[in-house]
Amino acid sequence: MIAVQDISLRDVKLAPALQSLREAYFRAIPEVCVERPRLITQFSAEAGLFERERITSLEKARLYRRVLERRTPVVWHRQGHMRTASGLEEFSFDDSSPFAGSTTSKFKGVPLYPEFMALALWPELWTMSRRQSNPYYIGEEEIRILNLEVFPRWMDHNLTELARARGTEEDRQRMQLLQKFVFFLASKPNCISHTIPDFSRAVREGLRAILNDALERQDRTADPSQQDFYQAMAEVLEGIIVYAHNLSDTAAGMAARTQDAKQKADLTEIARVYGRVPEQPAQTFREGLTTIWLCWTAIHLENPNVGLSLGRLDQVLYDLYRQDIDAERMTVEDAVQLLGYVWLKIGDHVPMVPAAGEQLFGGTGSNQAITIGGVDREGHDAVNELTYVMLRAIELMKLRDPNLNARYYPGVNEKDYLRRLCEANVNTGATPALHNDRAVIQALTASGHTLAQARDYGVIGCVEPGSNGRFYGHSGAILLNLPSALELTLFSGRHRHFGLGNIISMETGDPSTFQSFAEFQGAFNLQLHWVMDQAIALNELFGRTHQQFYPTPILSALFEGPMESGKDLIDGGATLNASGIAIIGFADVVDSLNVIEKLVYGQQPTDSTLFQAITKNYEGYEALLARVRNPDKVPRFGADEVNGEKNAIWLAETLHEATHTRRNYRGGYYRVGYWSMTNHAGFGRFIGATPNGRKDGENFSSGLTPCSGVTPHLTAALHAVANLPAECASNGMAVNLKFTPDDGDRTRMLDNFTAAVAGYFDASADHGTGGMEIQFNVTSHRDFIEAVSDPSRYDQLLVRVSGYTAYFKDLNPQMQKEIIDRTEYRLSSGDAVPYEPFALTKGAGHDN
Amino acid sequence: MTTRQSALQLASRAFPEPFQNFLVDRFARQLKAELSEKITDEFLEALLRGMEWALLLSGSYRRNIDGFFGVCVFRTRDNKVATTAVFADGHMRIEGQARSTYNVRVTFQDVHALWSFLLSENQDILDSILKNTVDVDGNLNYLYRFGFLAKDLTRRLGVA
Repeated sequence: MIAVQDISLRDVKLAPALQSLREAYFRAIPEVCVERPRLITQFSAEAGLFERERITSLEKARLYRRVLERRTPVVWHRQGHMRTASGLEEFSFDDSSPFAGSTTSKFKGVPLYPEFMALALWPELWTMSRRQSNPYYIGEEEIRILNLEVFPRWMDHNLTELARARGTEEDRQRMQLLQKFVFFLASKPNCISHTIPDFSRAVREGLRAILNDALERQDRTADPSQQDFYQAMAEVLEGIIVYAHNLSDTAAGMAARTQDAKQKADLTEIARVYGRVPEQPAQTFREGLTTIWLCWTAIHLENPNVGLSLGRLDQVLYDLYRQDIDAERMTVEDAVQLLGYVWLKIGDHVPMVPAAGEQLFGGTGSNQAITIGGVDREGHDAVNELTYVMLRAIELMKLRDPNLNARYYPGVNEKDYLRRLCEANVNTGATPALHNDRAVIQALTASGHTLAQARDYGVIGCVEPGSNGRFYGHSGAILLNLPSALELTLFSGRHRHFGLGNIISMETGDPSTFQSFAEFQGAFNLQLHWVMDQAIALNELFGRTHQQFYPTPILSALFEGPMESGKDLIDGGATLNASGIAIIGFADVVDSLNVIEKLVYGQQPTDSTLFQAITKNYEGYEALLARVRNPDKVPRFGADEVNGEKNAIWLAETLHEATHTRRNYRGGYYRVGYWSMTNHAGFGRFIGATPNGRKDGENFSSGLTPCSGVTPHLTAALHAVANLPAECASNGMAVNLKFTPDDGDRTRMLDNFTAAVAGYFDASADHGTGGMEIQFNVTSHRDFIEAVSDPSRYDQLLVRVSGYTAYFKDLNPQMQKEIIDRTEYRLSSGDAVPYEPFALTKGAGHDN
Repeated sequence: MTTRQSALQLASRAFPEPFQNFLVDRFARQLKAELSEKITDEFLEALLRGMEWALLLSGSYRRNIDGFFGVCVFRTRDNKVATTAVFADGHMRIEGQARSTYNVRVTFQDVHALWSFLLSENQDILDSILKNTVDVDGNLNYLYRFGFLAKDLTRRLGVA
């Protein structure tokens, strides 16, 4: 039911206290928190876990319960650190959040997981606070703790080393390949995470009911491993309840001490709420949010803060919202304020990115996706009033995390809703990302979801869809540098990066001797399979190592499947399982194939000049380069409706075929998606000039977006993407578009914006299911340029990278350039706006 | 450890920390010169010798390797420079050749690449890998720890 008159809720503003806390949030730089790693290390040592060949769910659960019971119950934060001309300085602020507790002990923290990759920060402990981009604050005592007490214990016990010790010689060679960054990245050494828990039961029944269910099942089963697993769930749920009670007691103590009547009332209410939930069923909207928030902190204690997502909160919380509104216990404005406070809590941590990772991941948040709108399990319109309230809260807060994703089912959801989503993009410049339910649901049913499960999908991390609360899909398991397979094809198993004297994969022949394009495609297919094989074999090794050492009782207790199956998520306990591969450089490879087909094998006789040109970075081949880059001369993905798309469809189907029948260690299947985060810039640095006219080291195109500069018309660009078969992209896709924000009058602009998205999503316009996903940057070219030269003036400028949102100032210069150079379309005409490529200058954009 | 080194280590324990730091500063002057002036071919030797002296003379620096056992090999691609740093039981030993078994082995193009990889304030590790100037084999955590030791020393010498 939507009772509000104005769905944009434009009269609702942030209250001064929330506004003030938001300002403190932006002022604060992230601080490394040592509480978790210190407690985990200490308790692991006490329990003898460093000596084990396998760690059970129950052993992990007891460890986490102790940490939950012992961690500092921070009700309100008072201090942060900010950047000043003389370095990092402490500052104070007033916290009035109704939500106590935090992911770390800091206001804005960097949680460390030494079980995974935290040790990469070791060489930087003394210098990370001086980093030019994305510095972290850390105190001397904390450096001492990490250097002497924590890191040394994990040198041979983090996931990578445990896997290395258990792998074969071939696996070790694959790990060498991984360390080169050239072919693929495997993210399991850092985490699995990337999933949506099931909060609905915790909100509806409370954790005590789930705990009792586990204990009853423990009594009923005769299987010792299941008995241990149910006990494990009970242990961690008890730990979360104790943590909530500790927060309640702390708040009550603070209330007793303060003389300020408002603070006393606020703290007393926090004490009351945390005394009830998450242990008991939530009875109000605020209690529902508190349950989710507390469970969220516990999940992050166990699982690294990468891509963990909150799912369909407008569905999970709607009944509580409606009750409060109808009973006049809460106004719409109150709800927006509560959500604003929760958004700040959700964004209270950033992932640890060492200096070495800045080029690949710099500027990323934790990518905590929230999903709104779409249809319900029966296919009915699920957009409700809370959908609009959440959208307004996102619009007002303009935070990097959470990452809002909106579902839209053409013909079921209202057009006004779509228009409102477009308006939010104009207002925020970058959010929410939009997903076409029809295409996504088709992709998910083709990959093993039932129709009802598919309709109940949420977005994970950047853009990856999966059934809400029941799909353990590690959507970011592998990030695959697709042009590296092209490179191996062009040089018969060799790679320019390693020198053309070394065979890396297998010899498939000199392509200048091939008789046809089909022969080239055959060689490419072989090289692609080789790269896939390496990446998947390594993912399996890491996955089995996770099973031996990193069970996940907390996440399992808040998920559909483990309770019924009596198995931890890591052992395949979820209702649905998968492993995800993100393909990077798709459009560059498609365009390269197009160019090769036309200019090499399309000539009589075959003309291999192009192959010579790429080895010379097109120097001396300027005429050929101009021809290659001209979409009127050579078919390009996004510019030519027939020839430009043929190879795109072939490639998408080839990638799907290469993966979707491969079963993973948890019993699920592999699936591919097309989103690149910032890796299209990082991976681009490793590949020399490519046949599509891209020069040595230049960025690849982001996600599934057609290459910049060769797609002069918006309609053709969208049409090309929409034509790709959705079932070949069940791991999601990111299509990045840039619109001119000040394009004529606002009403007309929004009309055109809405029509462009509706057309892209339209299944009837001769393109399959319609496009699956689209996301926008609606910021002027001039503002981007100024933000590079004067980042302090644009410190809250939000951008869509390729999947997630980021603050422009936090991105590395190469990534900033990629966003500036993306094709920008005028909504009035659909034509690209011509700009000269942005000239990258050393040090640009690094003064945040 | 030479007799002179043993004697120095024994004697230094009696000194207050500021004096220990003074001694480190004196004995690691070659490293200090390398880092304050110009990186030369002697950089790796100076770094390892500086670490060795600091571990002998400074109790607080020595704490960094309490209980640490590890073998780190450094070599150029042509093996013209090849050395091994062995950490064992609170001591560090430098060997003039590359051991064949190690926890981590760093192969570098030249000393400037190694300096950039280990100590530069504006590290671009991706760039090092991109240009193939540094290649690492083995357990990276040992290199991370070595990196901390190197940076901690430069901080103590006031050249970080």
